[in-house]
Amino acid sequence: MVRPRFLRYLIRDLRSLSAPAKGVLVVVFLFLCLMPYLGLSSFFRAVMIQFLFFSFLALGWNTIGGYGGQIDIGQAQFVAIGAYATTMMLVWWDVPPWFSAPVGMLLASVWCFLIGYPLFLLKGHYFAIATIAAALVLKDLFSNWELIHASRGVHLPFKQAPSLLYLQFHTNIPMYYAMLILFLAGVIFLNWFRNDRLGYQLRAVKENDEAAKSLGIDIRQAKLKAYAMAASFAALGGSFHAIYTMYIDPEAVMSTELSMQIALMAMLGGAATLWGPIIGAALLVPLDRFLGSAMGGKESLQGLDLMLYSAIIMVVAVVEPRGIVGILQRVGRSFRGGRP
Amino acid sequence: MLLQAIMTGILMGLLFALIALGLTIIFGVMEFVNFAHGEFLLVGMLTAFYANTLLGLDPLASIPLSALSAAILGVLTYHFLVRFVIRGPMIAQLFSTFGLMLFLQNLFLYFTGSNYKMVKKGLVVGKSIRLGEGLVLDLSVLAAGLVAIVAFGLVHYLFNHTTIGMAMRATALDGLGATLMGIRTERINYLAWGLGSAVVGVAGAVLANFYYIYPTVGMVFVMIAFATVALGGFGSIGGAFAAGILIGLIEVVGGLYLGSQFKFTIVYATYLLVVLIRPKGLFGW
Repeated sequence: MVRPRFLRYLIRDLRSLSAPAKGVLVVVFLFLCLMPYLGLSSFFRAVMIQFLFFSFLALGWNTIGGYGGQIDIGQAQFVAIGAYATTMMLVWWDVPPWFSAPVGMLLASVWCFLIGYPLFLLKGHYFAIATIAAALVLKDLFSNWELIHASRGVHLPFKQAPSLLYLQFHTNIPMYYAMLILFLAGVIFLNWFRNDRLGYQLRAVKENDEAAKSLGIDIRQAKLKAYAMAASFAALGGSFHAIYTMYIDPEAVMSTELSMQIALMAMLGGAATLWGPIIGAALLVPLDRFLGSAMGGKESLQGLDLMLYSAIIMVVAVVEPRGIVGILQRVGRSFRGGRP
Repeated sequence: MLLQAIMTGILMGLLFALIALGLTIIFGVMEFVNFAHGEFLLVGMLTAFYANTLLGLDPLASIPLSALSAAILGVLTYHFLVRFVIRGPMIAQLFSTFGLMLFLQNLFLYFTGSNYKMVKKGLVVGKSIRLGEGLVLDLSVLAAGLVAIVAFGLVHYLFNHTTIGMAMRATALDGLGATLMGIRTERINYLAWGLGSAVVGVAGAVLANFYYIYPTVGMVFVMIAFATVALGGFGSIGGAFAAGILIGLIEVVGGLYLGSQFKFTIVYATYLLVVLIRPKGLFGW
């Protein structure tokens, strides 16, 4: 039987996991699939949707930022392109998100080629800062563009009845499953990516771009491909965000803070690892939401929740600059008696 | 109108250059970008504000205090955070100082509240002189520009005419080589963080003369500082000076013609265009 490559990689990688890791994976998978029926609150579901949403975006970031080593802090511009494509096509022409989301991904890819081609002349810090600047330029343009309601933002039109076509429902359970499917597809995609040609090419470029070039790798093309993947992830996430929150404005979907959060979750979890972005999001999203709901409401405590949140980030950085996955690897090694 | 814009642009540009100077000193010595740099500026501003309201000190007189408090923060940051992170990949620099940025913003949100603060009385606060028809010179902005020039002069002197400055430059050029020559590079790193932070603290004190103070004020200026440093070339002091003035001029003159909502758009767009032609900045190598 001939299996597609992504499936072969998936089966091989799942088989090669250690027994405890397999157990953890099964438990987490079952929990994710059954979560809405475990009697947890609607707030908890909302946090889980956020977690899956940010994991998805951080997984996408990991292609260019992690494996490619090109620290992009402008992902929010692609989130915004996806969100605005879906929203405006719905507002103007009543196009369902099923059709507008791919258009958003396409537009984001086109935009990423336009800016990526010159941006990849830059390296290291120069690249990171230029991506912030590029995203800020686009944000200023969106904030003053009357056709898309400028900085006032756009409300998505409500449908009378729940509709699978328009992905509008009375509860957030169907949206949870929609996001879960996106998330699982994202994990499978990344597993293909890291095992396939492009993933290896990018890691070679990251380690030593001169050596990679001498092996015949077209550096710019490899980076652009990965950047387009990250942009498509972000745009798809943006489309989901728009239909989930039913309101978008430039501040919400294209702020530098959003770009930073996406990069932060992947970096904190462990860049250039499959599980890093997911672990980063699994730590930071619930921490942020639960601390926020526990302390954020009280005037006298404002700021304390995010102080704790950011203190944890700094502690991880000091203990293990490679992120949480690095810490877990060290712990695992010491359990096995110091053997590598 | 144009003359007014050029004058204000140059003076604001000098201030941008001063903020960027702190960033570029630290980068020059140890190739580290501090994303919390804007919050160091905030510390300088808050020091000036509280010295003004509690002690009745003029913001210009509290420049040494602002420099000192920012320098202490810088040394603490190096000692407790950067020292450990510098061994890791570049990614660790980013997320650790993102963390620091969020931490400081919320620390000040918790202790000083989210309301906008403004220094109300001082030697140059709110004062201006008319130079001619439609040409008004804001004294607080003038003071900022003059202080920036003096600070640049001092840093230039320090780096070119003192032993300690030459040791810093040697460390910047080749850390291992400097160690072999008997320079204690670890001390130089502390010094770079102290000096770089003190410089941005000075900028905070003069900025407090005419700008609102609130916990996320640093975000506005840190992006300009990044653009300035990248435009001038990371680690280049002369580059920061020239790029700062250029950015100030673009911001104010561009804002005059295209509308003030686009003033930063033009700055970032120009910066992007320039670094695409010169990927390491105007003065980088």
